[in-house]
Amino acid sequence: MIKVQKLTKIYDMGKVKVKALDGVSFNVVNGDMLAIMGKSGSGKSTLLRQMGLLDLPTTGRIFLGRYEVTKLAESTRAGLRLKYLGYVFQEYALLGELTAHQNVYLPGMMLNNKGKDYKKRAAELLKLVGLGKRVHHYPKELSGGEQQRVAIARALINSPKVLLADEPCANLDTISSGLVMETLARLNQDMKVTIIFVSHDPSDKQYASHILTLADGKIISEDGGPA
Amino acid sequence: MIRSLKIAALLAFTSVTKGNFRIALLTMLILILVALNLLFVPGLLDGLVWGANDKLVNTYSSDLLVESDGASHYIPSVDLFIADIEKIEGVEAVTARNYLGAEIDFEGKYLGAAVYGVHPDRERTVFTIADYIIEGSYLDEDDVDTVLIGAQIAGADMPELEMYARSLQNVHAGDRISITYTNGIEKEYIVKGIFHSEFIQTDLQAFVTDKEFQTIAPLLANNASTIYIKTSKGADTEAIIDQILGTESGVKVTTWEDHAGLVHSMTSSFKIIEVIMNVVNLLVAGITIFIITYIDVAHRKRQIGIQRAIGITPASITLSYVIRAIFYSIVALALAMLIYKFGIIPLEARYPFHFPFGDVFLRMIPFVLIRTALMLFAVSIISALLPVYGVMRTKIINAIWG
Repeated sequence: MIKVQKLTKIYDMGKVKVKALDGVSFNVVNGDMLAIMGKSGSGKSTLLRQMGLLDLPTTGRIFLGRYEVTKLAESTRAGLRLKYLGYVFQEYALLGELTAHQNVYLPGMMLNNKGKDYKKRAAELLKLVGLGKRVHHYPKELSGGEQQRVAIARALINSPKVLLADEPCANLDTISSGLVMETLARLNQDMKVTIIFVSHDPSDKQYASHILTLADGKIISEDGGPA
Repeated sequence: MIRSLKIAALLAFTSVTKGNFRIALLTMLILILVALNLLFVPGLLDGLVWGANDKLVNTYSSDLLVESDGASHYIPSVDLFIADIEKIEGVEAVTARNYLGAEIDFEGKYLGAAVYGVHPDRERTVFTIADYIIEGSYLDEDDVDTVLIGAQIAGADMPELEMYARSLQNVHAGDRISITYTNGIEKEYIVKGIFHSEFIQTDLQAFVTDKEFQTIAPLLANNASTIYIKTSKGADTEAIIDQILGTESGVKVTTWEDHAGLVHSMTSSFKIIEVIMNVVNLLVAGITIFIITYIDVAHRKRQIGIQRAIGITPASITLSYVIRAIFYSIVALALAMLIYKFGIIPLEARYPFHFPFGDVFLRMIPFVLIRTALMLFAVSIISALLPVYGVMRTKIINAIWG
């Protein structure tokens, strides 16, 4: 269970202060597939970064299970990121000098104590996202959709409880977008991974069990989700 | 820790093999130049010091000098004393000299000099003056009425000599010169040979055979003003000195270093220059490597942000840059060593630098090599660490999205 309580994020741009999130509160239950929708600049990505422990809110609290993660030191947050969260960036964010396989197993190396198990698991995950034959390719040799699926496999390497995806289809064509969203939906159903994704494309609502819509940093509607 | 090291090694390896080739090449070139500079300057200065000391020992002082410590300026029964010295372990060769002050005249020009009575055969075993004959020939054991003089006395029509103006200027082998000793004896000699060792103190000396010297100062027969000892390489000098002092009383033993004088002050200055140049080189190297690494790290800021976002620890990321810096340093040092040893040293040996005491040859000193390696590693690591540390302090989202 993830609890977000009265989350506010204000960016200090010198003379101007920009309120990206304004008192956002909601809950996410295990196994949820939450879509955070809204127009550009509504605060979707800012919210996801707070939940992904990549940034700290100005005020408010986030609970990951029973831990209030907003109060933790950066080293502890880094540990939680590694063990419990998987993050898929909008721009794929693969390491260009590593192969698809290496990109996926790198976070696994940080946790794995059993020899080369992480390499085997990375290969399995790449197969799972339909890239079994592209294991040794470098990111520049893959299409945008393939790179995003490598990023999803990487986010899953440490069997996270929650997978967060920031506009995973923003840079993809319709076919690749469909493949990526179906991959996320399959992971949510088959592996029971809680998935939180950000999208501005209304057609992505079909994959979600729970939809939050933001505007100007506030939740303007919430459909589905915990009662 | 092992896990961090493994991840760091993977990141460093892929960054070297798949990273920006031009940045890697530029970094390597700078490091090679820095390493060459760190090898060349001490190599040259050490070559200078070594060359000066070599000339001093082999043409002027020998390794050890034995002189009278008593009221008399002479060591008596020198033949027996030399025989005793030769028995000491570590002694390679011994020769004895007597000398008298003299005035040397040639065609109205004159100068004061010390004239030494020597045993030519023994001299050849201790000194290399015979190798520096530029006119005529070296003395033979039975020579009389002939003299061997240094180029700084003869002048030999070589105006480029440091002391040419006060020399006899145009004396050549075969010429007749007049020598007036301090004991009042005046005699004419044929110049048998002129030597030019390029060590000024040596080239201001004049030599006659001991046989000739005994005709000038018969009372000094079997006496010596100084005994010169050549020791074998690695010999225990202190032990040799102790044994000499145990053999004969009334003598004192000095080492070549005690006679270094000008050479000693010169070598001290060279060492200071070497330290200053090394510090400057390292500063330039450090700043240059820092700039290159800084640009490289700035270019990789987003990659570092992503690595942090996916859970790679700052320690692993930092370590990967340290490994990369060490790798570049090792390769650069190895290449610099090969270029120095098989390129620069042979080239310099063919076209040596010429200094007032002769040609100077570059040297490769193991200590300098180790010191260079350590300095290069330290500079590279610090230059890599500082910019990486800066990125590590940046928020992850700022590192990724600016």
